[in-house]
Order: sequence, then C-alpha cells, then structure tokens
Amino acid sequence: MTSHDLRAENLTLGYADADIVKDLDVQIPDGRITVIVGANACGKSTLLRGLARLLAPRGGQVVLDGTSVQGMKSIDVAKVLGLLPQTPVAPDGISVGDLVGRGRYPHQGWFRRWSTEDDEAVAAALEATGTSDLEHRNIAELSGGQRQRVWVAMALAQDTDLLLLDEPTTYLDINHQVELLDLLTDLNRASGKTVVLVLHDLNLACRYADHIIAMKKGSIVAEGPPREVIDAAVVTDVFGLDCEVVPDPVSGTPMIVPRGRHHARAEVVQTLA
Amino acid sequence: MATTLEAPVVRSGRRHRRRRATIVTAALAIIATCLFVLTMMVGSFYVSPIDVVTSVLGLRDDPTNDFIVRDLRLPTATAALAVGLALGLSGVVFQKLLGNPLASPDFVGVSSGASLFAVSSIVIFHASSAAVSGSALLGALLTALLIYVLAWRDGISGYRFILIGIGVSEFMLAIVGYVVSRAQLYEAREAMTWLAGSVGQAGAGELRALLVALVVLLPLALVLERPLRTLELGDDTAKALGSRVELSRLALLAVSIVLIGFSVAVAGPIMFVALIAGPIAVRLTGPSGSVIASALVGAVIVLAADLVAQHLLPTSLPTGVVTGIVGAPYLIWLLATVNREGRGG
Repeated sequence: MTSHDLRAENLTLGYADADIVKDLDVQIPDGRITVIVGANACGKSTLLRGLARLLAPRGGQVVLDGTSVQGMKSIDVAKVLGLLPQTPVAPDGISVGDLVGRGRYPHQGWFRRWSTEDDEAVAAALEATGTSDLEHRNIAELSGGQRQRVWVAMALAQDTDLLLLDEPTTYLDINHQVELLDLLTDLNRASGKTVVLVLHDLNLACRYADHIIAMKKGSIVAEGPPREVIDAAVVTDVFGLDCEVVPDPVSGTPMIVPRGRHHARAEVVQTLA
Repeated sequence: MATTLEAPVVRSGRRHRRRRATIVTAALAIIATCLFVLTMMVGSFYVSPIDVVTSVLGLRDDPTNDFIVRDLRLPTATAALAVGLALGLSGVVFQKLLGNPLASPDFVGVSSGASLFAVSSIVIFHASSAAVSGSALLGALLTALLIYVLAWRDGISGYRFILIGIGVSEFMLAIVGYVVSRAQLYEAREAMTWLAGSVGQAGAGELRALLVALVVLLPLALVLERPLRTLELGDDTAKALGSRVELSRLALLAVSIVLIGFSVAVAGPIMFVALIAGPIAVRLTGPSGSVIASALVGAVIVLAADLVAQHLLPTSLPTGVVTGIVGAPYLIWLLATVNREGRGG
C-alpha cells in the first residue's frame, strides 16, 4: 500500500434545498480505521459520499494526494478510493463471481478487458471475505450476512488503498456485525488499507475505530482516538442522550450505557438525585 | 495480495458464464436467420430455402424468384428482423438502466409518443416516409425528455420514472385517439391499421433509416455495455467504480430512443416485444449475457409473430396483435410477481 492523503477543506455539501455539511475540515488518517458517528441526519453519510466524490461540493473541496478530486478523472480516483454505498443494487439473478468481478471496472479498458491480474484480484477478494465457496451462487439466495460480505468483496476487488463503507452493518444481526467489523480490521492490519466507515452502533464504533469522528448538524463535534474523545458529555451533546460511559469489559474502549427514564436500579436513581 | 492458487478457479467460473452466454447468443442468431429465410419461403407461392438464399445474395439470376423474394418478401422480412433487433435492444437497455423489468420503452410511453407524432404526420400533414420517420423519432425523443424532466428529483428513480411514464403514455394515447377521431374515414382506417403495429406496412424510406441506425447503434451499444454493467449496480456504486454515470446513461438512453423512434416509424407500435425480450434473454444467457442476446430475442419474436400472423391464422392479422396476445399474460404475471416480491421500487 502506498500512503495517501485524503482530506476535506472548507467542504460544504447538500441536496436540493439544504446544506447538510457546512464548511467542514477533516483529514482521514492514513492506514487507520476511521469511524464516523452521529445522530440521524447529521450529515455523516453525506460527508462520506462527498469524500468519495459521489456528491459535488457546493463549497470547498475534497483533496486526494494534493489534487482536488473534482478535477481528477473518475477512473483515476476509482483506482485509489473505493466506496460501498448504503444500498447497492444487485441485478436480478446475478452470480457472486460476476458481481465481484464488476469491481474490476476501473482497472479495465475498452480494449483490455480481462487479465490474470483481474482474476487474481477477484480470487483474493473472495478469499479475504470467506465467500470463495459462494462464487457460483445467485446473490438473491444468500443470507443478509453473506450478501454483505459479497458486496465487501466487490469493493475489495476494486483493489483500492482507501475503502469507504456507508453503514455496512445496518441490516445485519449482532453476530454478523462483529464478523464484518473483524473482517475490515483484518484487511486494515494485513495490508494497511485505510478504512472509513459510517456506523450507527456507538459501542462497536468505539471498539473498532482507531480514529472516531462525531458529527452533529453537519459539523464535527469531536475527533480522535475513541478513548480520548468519547465521554458522557460528548455523547449527550451529539445524540442528546443522557448516559454513562464505562470501559468495555472486553476491549477497555468506551461503552455507552443509556440512562432512559425506566428500569434504573434504586441505588443509581439515588446517586442521580 | 494475490493468491494465485484461486485465480484459475475464478477464471474457469468466468469462462463458464461467458461460454453459456456465447453459445446461447450464437443459437439465437441462427434461429433468427432461419426464421428470416423461412419468412421469405412461405406465402401463396413456395420458394425453396436455397432459392431464397441465392436470390437474396444475388448469386443466381432467376427473374421469377427474384421478384417474389427480393421485391415482395425481402422488405417485410428485413423489417421484421430490424424492428425486432431494435425493440429487443432498446427494451433491455431501459430495463437495466432503470433496474426494473417494467421499464421498457413501450410500457413507459416512449412508443406512444412516437406513435402520436407519426399518426399526426400521417393524418394531418400527409407526410412523406422520411417525414414520418423523422416525426416518430422526434416524438420518442420529446416524450422521453418529458418523462425524464418530470421524474427528475436529484437523480432518476426507476419507480418514479415508470409511474410518470405510464401517465405520459396514457396522455399520448388519448391525443392519438383525438387525432384519429378528427381524421377522414380513409385516413382514420389507415392510422388504425398502423397503430395495431405490423411489419408488413414498412415503407422503404423508413426501413432504410432504421437499418442505418442499427448499423451505427448496435456496435455503439456493445461499447456502452461496459458502463451499463456498472450502472446496473446503482448510481452510487457506478460512480464509486469510476464510471461516468450521467454521460453513459444519456448515451444509452439516446441509443434506445433513436431505435424505438425509427422502429415505430417502420412498423407502428408493436407492443410487448421490448418488454419481454430482455427478461427472456437474461433467462437464457444468465445475467452476464450481452444486450445483443436481447436484440436477437426481439428479432426472433417479431419474425415468429409475423409468420404466425400472416400464415398460421385463418385470416392474416397485424404483427402487433400476435405479440399482444403473447405479451399481455406475461405483463399480468410480471405485475403480480413484482408486487409480491416488493421489487416494484
């Protein structure tokens, strides 16, 4: 992996009538796992789409290795930076092998279509995600967890040094969520791939992130290693949630325990009062 | 990163998929060719397949055969082949672009728009064949543009495109009804025959326009198939893969619309061919198959439907009636299953 510098400078992003991300500066740490968290509609997915130049900036710019991505050829960006969207679409009846193979698009040309290198990249992507034995299966027959691993395999086949994933765990049960995050950590540690994720589960975010970015209303409220930046005050600010933050018994990373209005033990209620 | 161990397995899987698609496509091409020849063999006077081929290729001088084959039957057979190819190709491109089996241009109103303009030019302006082709093309383009503009909201969603397309289609058909009702009796009859859709009515000028369009656009469609394979995965994925989404989509839509416009000018709106050719081709070749397979399925359907319409029924019918009888039950089945699976969006 060559090292890369992905950053946003004074970035403003939005849809039809509203700015979602406003005047934001951020730098994605190279070779690390970065997780973006925040309440619904805080602009975290928008930021990710902006970083992957899926959304044209209204102001500012996204800079990849010193060049504004808007000025780069799509195909050149796609060789360095991959993105798995929140809801990718699988064509009817497509097989796993065919789908993962489509990740090779930026490496192929009008005349140079399939090479051994492409086959090797697809094989490696299937291997890394544990989907080799699914190669001939129809996507529609797979379970949610298997399907998500196949999509990750497609993004891996693209063979980029940076990989952005928009809420990759959303439709997965807790077991498959952990499995997928372990897989991404493996990829990061084995090859130094820079991974940027949007996640909803704050506890998993704190555990798996080297670098966490907490967003609120289109701006960054806190960023850094989760142990240093995530505390009850930040969570309350970002999510509006009254909570306690305790060390995760497994990893020692911050774990968020919501207070809620019910079910608190008597002694806890007393200490609050 | 490379694990060379597995690359051969991947390669064999890919080759297997491609082999199946290639064999099926070749078989479809052979079937289409056979039907093309068969169309020129049968009729009130039987001509042997050898004579058809030698006459079409101009290998031997035989005035009687040449008159029957080249002058009487070749235009219809060519029209059926060309219209089928055009409908099959444009149908599957629309369906893949919009990610929905209902999204064929005859279902979403592009054909209706072409019909409206063509009928108007026949009935109101007594237009020449070139003008009919031109106005059908213009009608297809304007209708598609209208649907695109009405359905646009930060991008195109397949579902909204289809709903608005159906609305636009009804609108166009209503005006067609009005135009026909205002026409003189003879012209109204002519327009109604035309609207049923038949390859037998092809004018030489319109047919030539369609053939030129096919010669240019079929290879272009093959080139555009590469970005189409990324567009099928959704706009975000396509962009992330480095595909130039808007440009490719525009080019693909333009190819489809031009083909639909010209084919409507040749044969009127032959219903359901564009709708069913793609799904049949995908079922035969697998999803890795080319759009060319769908074009060939379209050609096979139109050629077969014309043979049935002209020769197998007690009275000869317009081609569109036969495709309608086959296509309508499919549409009902499609609507039922799409809704059940919740794939409508």
